[in-house]
Amino acid sequence: MSKKVIMLSVAVLFGMQAGLAMAANPDTGPGCGLGKLLWSDYSHQKNIAPQVLMATTNGFMGNGTFGISSGTSGCTNDGKIMAEQKTTLFAQLNFENLSQEMAQGQGEHLASLATLMGVPPEQHAAFFAMTQERYTSLVETGEASPVAMVKAINDAIAAHPVLARVSAR
Amino acid sequence: MRSKPCVFLACHLYIVLLLFMLVLAPALPANASEPPENAYLVELINKGLQVKLASEREWHLLLHYRENLLGGHTSEQDDPGFFMSPDGKTNPQAELDATLKQFFSEELVGRSKQPAQCAFIARYHWLRERLQFDDSRLPKMACERFDRWFNDFEAQSITLIFPSAYLNNPASMFGHTFLRVDQKGQTEQTRILAYTINYAAYVPPDSGIAYPILGIFGGYSGYFSTYPYYLKVQEYRDFENRDIWEYRLNFTEHQIRRLLMHSWEFGNAAFDYFFFKENCSYHLLALLDYADPNLHLTDEFLLWTVPADTVRLIASKPGLVSDIAYRPSRSNVIRRKRESLPTSERELAHRITQDLGALTTPTFAQLSLPKQAFLLDLASDYLRYRTETTDSPPPEWKERNRAVLTARSQLRIPSEEFKVVPFAQRPELGHKTSRAAVGAGWRNNDTFEEVTVRAGYHDLLDPEVGYTPGAQIELASVSLRHYNRVDQTRIERATLANVLSLSPIDSVFHSPSWKFNAGMNTIRFGDCPLCSNGVLNGGIGAAVESRWLKREVVFAFAEAEANYSRAYEENHRVGGGGTVGLLTDFTDRWKLMASGTYLRYALGDQSDDFRWFVGQRYTLSQNWALRLEYNHRDHDNDVGFSMQAFF
Repeated sequence: MSKKVIMLSVAVLFGMQAGLAMAANPDTGPGCGLGKLLWSDYSHQKNIAPQVLMATTNGFMGNGTFGISSGTSGCTNDGKIMAEQKTTLFAQLNFENLSQEMAQGQGEHLASLATLMGVPPEQHAAFFAMTQERYTSLVETGEASPVAMVKAINDAIAAHPVLARVSAR
Repeated sequence: MRSKPCVFLACHLYIVLLLFMLVLAPALPANASEPPENAYLVELINKGLQVKLASEREWHLLLHYRENLLGGHTSEQDDPGFFMSPDGKTNPQAELDATLKQFFSEELVGRSKQPAQCAFIARYHWLRERLQFDDSRLPKMACERFDRWFNDFEAQSITLIFPSAYLNNPASMFGHTFLRVDQKGQTEQTRILAYTINYAAYVPPDSGIAYPILGIFGGYSGYFSTYPYYLKVQEYRDFENRDIWEYRLNFTEHQIRRLLMHSWEFGNAAFDYFFFKENCSYHLLALLDYADPNLHLTDEFLLWTVPADTVRLIASKPGLVSDIAYRPSRSNVIRRKRESLPTSERELAHRITQDLGALTTPTFAQLSLPKQAFLLDLASDYLRYRTETTDSPPPEWKERNRAVLTARSQLRIPSEEFKVVPFAQRPELGHKTSRAAVGAGWRNNDTFEEVTVRAGYHDLLDPEVGYTPGAQIELASVSLRHYNRVDQTRIERATLANVLSLSPIDSVFHSPSWKFNAGMNTIRFGDCPLCSNGVLNGGIGAAVESRWLKREVVFAFAEAEANYSRAYEENHRVGGGGTVGLLTDFTDRWKLMASGTYLRYALGDQSDDFRWFVGQRYTLSQNWALRLEYNHRDHDNDVGFSMQAFF
């Protein structure tokens, strides 16, 4: 089920905000630069996000695919992710990989999360050990809300004797 | 805006302007009542004309002009928003003049709705440099949107990404390519955070059967997008189980800036997407060509652009690729991890995925901590693989994965790095896409010479280096044969599509194998010694892999076939049957395939067929191979020897 669940979580993230995005961004052009938002002719917005992950096989986007782009909450008009959204968006979109790597005490998604959260590379091992130790509670929190999981990790960093000192948050 | 001396100059130039209007009338749609401050524009246009800027390669790269067969130029761009002149698509000079004119204006242009200087920032920078713009007479505008976008990349280098074919879907052998913009300070661990530059066609909802047709003939529009790389990794590696190859390109900072500036301009445009040529890979080549105009990459593709070919081309440019990285699909991670284990532990890992009770057995408890971690990781990989590749997976798989991971987290040691050796060699080492062969042989009591041309792509006996094992896709192949004794030249075989997928089954992976063939061959049937025979064949089956000698795959299919030929009663026959076969490598270069088929035709001409095939291939080099093939059917024996070249 996890494929669907990941997709669903993505759907929740993007889909719920689609209406808002359309209202805020009546221009249906490609935003600017790279990235093209195609909400406008899309009728089932809750399915948009799944398509992102499914659809670009061999250069064909499927029904209602969007580029991360204009007006999506968390994205700039020019297809970039807003700085303040980078961490939560990453945690949300990579939840399955992150929970696996937290249990395993290492991995590129976890290292990337640590980097986004301002943990310097030489302290990644301590960060990994910390998330491994708190695996059960972090994943439980994360399944309800990735935003809450990021917050829980942040709190754990703040309470950590070494990480609190060195992390640029 | 202008100081007094300038007004004088402007008046003076106004006369010159009027004179120029006569000369430039067709190119410059301005009229005589144009305000005098456009004098500088006329000066620039004139200067551009003198040095023939509009015929420079750089301008043609920026606007994607290609030379027409009968002279003149046409841009491959199809969106009017990409041009400043209404004739821009076919008139480089008019486009250049209109672009210069638009640079004076703050009017928002293109789909991205920016002033022309910002929307077409690469054009602006090039023209500014070549014509040495006087900033006091053509003020440079601030392009904050571009600057923000550009800076956010923190670009350090560019990497070409190639997700190779996914198992059991030979059509994906065509592959896909996109670029990753590597960030400064990025490590192997954090490269998933980099943005990508990806080009794909947008297929509207409910396209149905129109999809392939419109896809081939440019009925869809393609757009660029900048997904973070982690989304693409999820898509290709986790969901589609495709290996990903990453080719770091040796671009200078200046070239990277050029590439990104030109990418930015693509935001103003929709391209008509042509599946075979102007596809994802083609437009990336245009970007790379602009980054380094000496590359001449797009020039090498006339009829079609196969992504794997573009990878080979890029890898063949001396010094262009500096580093190649491999990112295995989840299924290949599982395969390699299983291979590294003794049978007892392999079975234990599999038991864990079915029953968590296995974790409390003494067998498991006796293992070292790193070994326990390894088995739990493998079990989790497998449970994720199953859930992500099954349509409606039972919820207990996910719950079991959580439980496995919880147990794993309690071991409190980090997993050791496990290096996955790819099953297929690097794609750029593979043979080229098209194939030509010349050969000779015997059929019954005649001899023949034969020429074969195949547009694409790979069959089971072709050299496997660089290709996904067990995947065949042949498209558009024709064999012309001359029989010496009867002195007859005929189309011996033709293939529209012949696709076959062998996916070996084991205790973990159980996808079916399948095949489909549409084409014609030449049969001996009844009174007809050489008769054309249309074939439509499809089958489903299974394959098993062994490693007695080197690598053997044994397969079996149940299949249905329809034939059409004037040799048959009622001109046709339809039936079913089965095939068994074996594929084996004797050495790295020498491969053998043998198969036997029995088909019984119940409709039309009621008959049956018993066929044998034995074929061998010997690889001479990356693009050369020898074949010896024997076909037997009823009283029809055919032996052919051929030399094949890939091009």
